[in-house]
Amino acid sequence: MVNVFAVQVFFIVFRECLEAAIILSVLLSFLKQSLGQPHQDQSIYKRLVRQVWAGSMVGILCCLIIGGAFIGVFYGLGHDIWSKAEKLWEGIFYLIATIIITVMGLALLRINKTKEQWRVKIAKALVDKGKNQTKSKWLSGWARRYAMFLLPFVTTMREGVEAVVFVGGVSLGYPATAFPLPVLTGMLTGLTCGYLIYRGGNAMSIQIFLIASTCVLYLIAAGMFSKSIWDLQYYRYQMAVGSDVAEQGSGPGSYNIRETVWHVNCCNAETDNGWDVFNSILGWENTGTYGSIISYNAYWIFIILCVGYMLWEERSGKRSLRERILVVFAKVPGLKWYASPKLAAMQQNPEDIVREVHSGLFNEEGAEQQQVVELK
Amino acid sequence: MELGLFWLVGFVVHILAASAKTLNYEWNITWVSANPDGLQERPVIGINGQWPLPVLDFTLGDRVIAKVYNALGNQSSSIHWHGFFQNGTTHMDGAPSITQCDIAPGSTFVYNFTVDQTGTYWYHSHSRGQYPDGLRQALVIRGPDEPYSGQYDEERVITLSEWYHDPMPTLLKQFISVTNPTGAEPVPKSALMNDTQNLTVAVESGKTYLFRLVNVAAFASQYFWIEDHTMRIVEVDGVWTEPAETSMIYITAAQRYSFLVTMKNDTSKNYAMVGSMDTDLFDTLPPTLNYNVTGWLVYDNQAEKSAPANISSFDPYDDFGLVPVDGEKLLDDPDYTVTLDLTMDNLGDGANYAFFNGITYVMPKVPTLYTALTTGSAATNSTVYGYNTQAFILDKGDIIDLVLNNDDTGKHPFHLHGHNFQVVVRSDENAGHYDANNSPALPSVPMRRDTIYVKPAGHFVIRFRADNPGVWIFHCHIEWHMDAGLAVVLIEAPLDLQKTLTIPEDHWQACDASDTLKEGNAAGNTKDFYDLTGANVSVPPLPAGFTARGIVALVFSCIAAVLGLISIVWYGMAPITVKESPADERREVGSNSSSSSS
Repeated sequence: MVNVFAVQVFFIVFRECLEAAIILSVLLSFLKQSLGQPHQDQSIYKRLVRQVWAGSMVGILCCLIIGGAFIGVFYGLGHDIWSKAEKLWEGIFYLIATIIITVMGLALLRINKTKEQWRVKIAKALVDKGKNQTKSKWLSGWARRYAMFLLPFVTTMREGVEAVVFVGGVSLGYPATAFPLPVLTGMLTGLTCGYLIYRGGNAMSIQIFLIASTCVLYLIAAGMFSKSIWDLQYYRYQMAVGSDVAEQGSGPGSYNIRETVWHVNCCNAETDNGWDVFNSILGWENTGTYGSIISYNAYWIFIILCVGYMLWEERSGKRSLRERILVVFAKVPGLKWYASPKLAAMQQNPEDIVREVHSGLFNEEGAEQQQVVELK
Repeated sequence: MELGLFWLVGFVVHILAASAKTLNYEWNITWVSANPDGLQERPVIGINGQWPLPVLDFTLGDRVIAKVYNALGNQSSSIHWHGFFQNGTTHMDGAPSITQCDIAPGSTFVYNFTVDQTGTYWYHSHSRGQYPDGLRQALVIRGPDEPYSGQYDEERVITLSEWYHDPMPTLLKQFISVTNPTGAEPVPKSALMNDTQNLTVAVESGKTYLFRLVNVAAFASQYFWIEDHTMRIVEVDGVWTEPAETSMIYITAAQRYSFLVTMKNDTSKNYAMVGSMDTDLFDTLPPTLNYNVTGWLVYDNQAEKSAPANISSFDPYDDFGLVPVDGEKLLDDPDYTVTLDLTMDNLGDGANYAFFNGITYVMPKVPTLYTALTTGSAATNSTVYGYNTQAFILDKGDIIDLVLNNDDTGKHPFHLHGHNFQVVVRSDENAGHYDANNSPALPSVPMRRDTIYVKPAGHFVIRFRADNPGVWIFHCHIEWHMDAGLAVVLIEAPLDLQKTLTIPEDHWQACDASDTLKEGNAAGNTKDFYDLTGANVSVPPLPAGFTARGIVALVFSCIAAVLGLISIVWYGMAPITVKESPADERREVGSNSSSSSS
């Protein structure tokens, strides 16, 4: 089961696809509102819509190629090295995966907020393009002409590569066969969900769906965190024992009795069918160690505290944690490139940019709108 | 008829006794430094500053008085005379906690017994895990009326063994440890032949030699062969057999084989003899390990001693088919059957132990013989010997069947003190448990020996007459397994012992010197023999499944997860109270466009 369907991969792909779908929907909404009105030129509108679709598709294609190459190289070169100290690597990879999921997971619940952020981001990009009359008139003209292609292309590709890196980080411990199915289903679910959001369907049921998937995501993350500690301990035990303890099955000798809180001589996630699903979703091990149990509980306490903090933050209108973190990141030389633009986008008043876009982007066609805005 | 024979034997022994001598040994057990495999110098246990130890020559009827002084300083010691019946002198058998107290550093112990058997034997320390450190050597007993006297020109003794570089106490600590849950026995560093390697045995062409092959190992069985020479097996473990020709012998730890080899008439070449450790026993096979040891039959000292040729498979002689020369018939049906099921498992300390019938052997506080002598009529009740000694009381003269079912996947050589036994059944691998109703016909003249191995997941049945009052341990002769508890104690005619046996004063003194209790039940209780409070017992078993703390941990984890999920749901359901809600935005944009269209 786990060998053909890595649940973590599914959720990451789902999440990234949802995000991509939202970007698309934001762009399409823009176009619709700006150009898609009955009295406007439908040919331009249709051309731009086509550009958006083309851009997104090419972006997705590119990131799939990059991702395929990435994973191919990874399995071609690296896997043998890691399989020698399997438990150590598994532990480290699980830890990485936990951190990734934890950071991005709660944002799924604020996907509407994400939508908003994307509106701002896209608007800002358009505005920047409009402002910077760059060196080459041709390039500027070209870029502007194809802005509706480049924007979705760049953004989907960026998000896509991000997804690939995340998927890679989460699933390093899995065989290559564990990828295709969750990637495919994750994409389908993500796109469907994104479409539903775009159509503005039943907001409540979408929200419930998002909540449910976030819950599953965090169950997985907690399990993975616990399992990561478990793996690291197990690795240490393997080192001490010196022989291949995994050969011992589930009975005595397969686990370190000094750190055991419970042990059942069955239900081994590595060898017994069915329990591996339980293991990948909830982090089940037939041996509970102090480390794995404490980390599991600590993880949940951490999540509860985080959620509490974020709620408080939202309600009190204080500077968000994300913003604070970005402020810190922006001061770190290596991360500045990542944090600064995001921070800038965040700190700008979204209203202004959006308005600016409406007024400035399609100046030929949008003169009318500009007047309206000014009137307003 | 039988009585007549008995008298005859008694008469012969009497005649011999008249001519027999007394052998006085004064032994200091000392540390010596040695490097037998040329790989590493290490401390070994020698006698009187000498190692390898002397090969002892006894003659039937001799009286042996060995005064053993333990000069090791840091370890207790003992000497067991392997294969000796010790009829009437069970207290001289040399097994600490069974028939004597350990000889503490600085104390002396005298072994005093007569030799009433012939053949190839060996002597070794029986103190916990000690003899692989060097305190073991072959021992030969010759008699006047041996069936093969005159049929050979000369004798050669060849010992085989594995060799470790680390001292046994260190290895034992690693072996019985939480970090060795599989019970993987330490893999030896090399194999030895006559406590050396590249042994040369000078031989003369045309002559016939009697080779006495002794495996003084603590672990490894060895395949033994001599290139281009046929061996005629004539003795196993002190029992003369009809000659059996073979090109290869499989000899487990503690077994002995004597065989005749007639030398070639051609002296141009020397021939390799090879001992090859049975690597099935090793959990890992380090690439650096040379598990073979080679020696040469040297016809011509100038000629080349070429390396042995590789062989494609091992095809040793099956000792089950050997027939004793004395033709002793299969004993009558058993009066009493002892069944032992062998398992290996982990106990509560995480280490791996060996079990018979689910009980791992733990030495009692009082040596079992002393318990038998000091508990009066209670001595016939196995309870007084303690739970973890797993004592079986045998009535004098009874025929005993001992059935051993191996539920382990390894080979185990078993040795019974004080007897040789008829091997009436030995199954193939994976035959499972012995079933009396469904087993082949028993041999009419069964092979007898004192050390027999059981095949992986197989069984054997041995039969003997309980005609030797005493306390005899039956144990695996792989020292690792012995120390992991693979032993039981057979107590023959304890009330007879109480009447006949007097323990010499120096034996009691050894107990005082090693702070060992001398009387009472296994716990040292001299008042209520059935009260075993305080007796030595094994580590408690590992708790299986969920204990209280496991349930608490699981419940807490579940609660934490549920609370966490609730918090996430709460967060997800909470209205998004940002400055500009998307709903507002949409409305605004909507109004924007609608106004533009106006």
